[in-house]
Amino acid sequence: MSAHKIWLILSSEFWRRVRSKAFILATLLVPVGFVILAAAPALFGYLAEQTDERVVALVDETDQLADSLAAAGGDRITFESTDAPIDSVRAAVRSGVYDGYLLLPASLLDGEGEATYYSMEGGGLTLRTQIDGMVDRVVQERRLTSAGADASVLSIVRSDVSLSTRKLAEEEGTTADSSLALTAIGYAMAFIIYFAVFIYGQYVMQGVIEEKSNRVVEIVVSSVRPFELLMGKVLGIGAMGLMQMVTWAVLVVGGFSVAGPVLALVMSPEALGVAPDASQQAMTEAAGASIPTIPLDLVAWFVLFFLGGFLLYAALFAAVGSAVEQQQDAQNLLLPVMTPLIVPILFLFFIIESPNATVSVVMSIIPFFSPILMVLRAAITSVPLWEIGLAFGLLFATFVGMIWVAGRIYRVGILSYGKTPGFREIARWVTYD
Amino acid sequence: MAHLEVSNVTKRYGDTVAVDDVSFSAEPGRILGLLGPNGAGKTSTIRMITYITVPDAGGIRYDGETVGPWSQQRMGYLPEERGLYKRLRVKEQLVYLGTLKGLSKAEAADRADHWLGRFDATGWADMKTEELSKGMQQKIQFIATLLHDPSLLIFDEPFSGLDPINADLLRDIILELRREDRTILFASHRMEQVEQLCDDICLMARGDVVLRGPLRDIKEQFGKNTLVLEFDGDDHFVDQLEAEGRVRVNTRSAHRAELTLADGTAARTVLDRALAATDELYRYERTAPPLNEIFVEVVGEDEARRMQEEAATAPAG
Repeated sequence: MSAHKIWLILSSEFWRRVRSKAFILATLLVPVGFVILAAAPALFGYLAEQTDERVVALVDETDQLADSLAAAGGDRITFESTDAPIDSVRAAVRSGVYDGYLLLPASLLDGEGEATYYSMEGGGLTLRTQIDGMVDRVVQERRLTSAGADASVLSIVRSDVSLSTRKLAEEEGTTADSSLALTAIGYAMAFIIYFAVFIYGQYVMQGVIEEKSNRVVEIVVSSVRPFELLMGKVLGIGAMGLMQMVTWAVLVVGGFSVAGPVLALVMSPEALGVAPDASQQAMTEAAGASIPTIPLDLVAWFVLFFLGGFLLYAALFAAVGSAVEQQQDAQNLLLPVMTPLIVPILFLFFIIESPNATVSVVMSIIPFFSPILMVLRAAITSVPLWEIGLAFGLLFATFVGMIWVAGRIYRVGILSYGKTPGFREIARWVTYD
Repeated sequence: MAHLEVSNVTKRYGDTVAVDDVSFSAEPGRILGLLGPNGAGKTSTIRMITYITVPDAGGIRYDGETVGPWSQQRMGYLPEERGLYKRLRVKEQLVYLGTLKGLSKAEAADRADHWLGRFDATGWADMKTEELSKGMQQKIQFIATLLHDPSLLIFDEPFSGLDPINADLLRDIILELRREDRTILFASHRMEQVEQLCDDICLMARGDVVLRGPLRDIKEQFGKNTLVLEFDGDDHFVDQLEAEGRVRVNTRSAHRAELTLADGTAARTVLDRALAATDELYRYERTAPPLNEIFVEVVGEDEARRMQEEAATAPAG
């Protein structure tokens, strides 16, 4: 095997794709679309809520909180106490007299039960967060008072309200809050690997089919070994994919670093439910328009498992491509390639729920699933190094085995024309000398 | 320049024996015609010579050594089914294929320029291959075959699909390569092309070599039992001769007939009949049989007919 030949093929495959207009356009436009999609809901949500002044009926069974709430509501939310029966309050909400009604059960002051907000539209996210915060504060204050807290304690609590919410968020953030973010990241990474393997794998298959159906392949394999051609092609398209993803990452991060300040300019902190003096970082995070910091080792595993998964599946896509003369004929043969790629997607939610269950651990170590599932687990839970190492080792070993099998299929397939072969026929190719 | 030796080569695909114990050799400065119908094992044999596949048994040596990646760099191969990367620009394509044959980029670029000039195609260098006409693409394909200055050249049905001008161009190039003492293998099922170009032939049928040797020797071996007549007037004498079993008609038109003498028929008989029947006789020639007839004799009528049908349906070359 000649590394030089593989390199020649790799760079030709890489450059011929990277400089195509379609590639350049996709590489530039996808992140722009992504930033717009991510930032738009936050912006629209904010604009929508800012225009509305809400009137909320208050059914206060504690009889102690109405005044404080009315004060907390300020200009934006008007709480109107009512003693009317629940049914008529509901009717009033339905007929649009009120935007919704807030039910505060008597037990609330004993630390039991929960406040409930009813509305026709479910309420915007921001509105809910605001009401939640207000009720929280008011109930807390009332309970402190009735527990006989000293006036000085009360004033500390009151003056600290905004500060302490921020502190809670940040301290617990390292566990609770960021685990939510990391779940989202893991989920996103799993899907990115799935789509990347799928799409770039298809590129490999298309490339193989094209070379075969326009017959140039026979000239090429009279100059290089079929295996060198296969490796060069897979690596070249892999390099293209990696470059595209790195470009996207850079553009998205860059995009958010521009979008953040822009959002901060047009939005006020209260609208986002954070403290008035919140940092720009806190605001953009609350607006959903920022990327949480991703641990570096997770990034490294992501790249390694993406490459491993791509190489493994690309070898199979190439083998399928070599057996057919046009894309449509590949449907049947693709089944055993697509199935192991889709199975992990079915397990995503199970693993998010219980990342350390035996099933999750086993599934995430199986080579055909690990590129998607191990990266997800690595994001949402602390996976022992041996597990992730084992998964990667197995993935790599499987790749070596599969590229060998694929190479043997490929070498026969690229020169076979006529009827599309079945699985049995293809299995026989592997044994040819 | 070196010699190619194929010895006792066998190749199986599953249960099918594509090539069965085949031996022949090709010499520098000569053109070896590899003849046979589709399915005779020509392409399978060529793929082993070009080291695209390897034999199950037997060996192929070039310049005294078993073929391998090293020999791929010294051979130029023009496959029967031709193709190029459609979206690459012409020169880029040539440079890429040249580097795969072991040329440096600069070398490949220089030679691409040289050959494009030679084919009056310098202006195409920056065009995308798919923008070229079929004939232009053929030229690019020849250049790709010759770019790395190979000492062994293999042409599989090189004239199929060529317009007459390009066919002449290719014929000139092949003859030029022969003068330069390169070893040339020319596979075809079209006898008249082989007859025009080749020094040696190797006739294959059903995976076997059925006849091989220098073309001239083979023709002599089959004797001068063929007559060519050109005439004006009544051609009924040909039908009569055939009906009497004295001759077999190879080809025939209104003013021309090519006949094979049946055993025991004196050539003189045909001349007498022709003189008696026609208004004018322009040509009477006793000659060696055309390759076509030799092939019929060697492989039998059925196989030969099959092959001629294939030749008739193949694109003119």
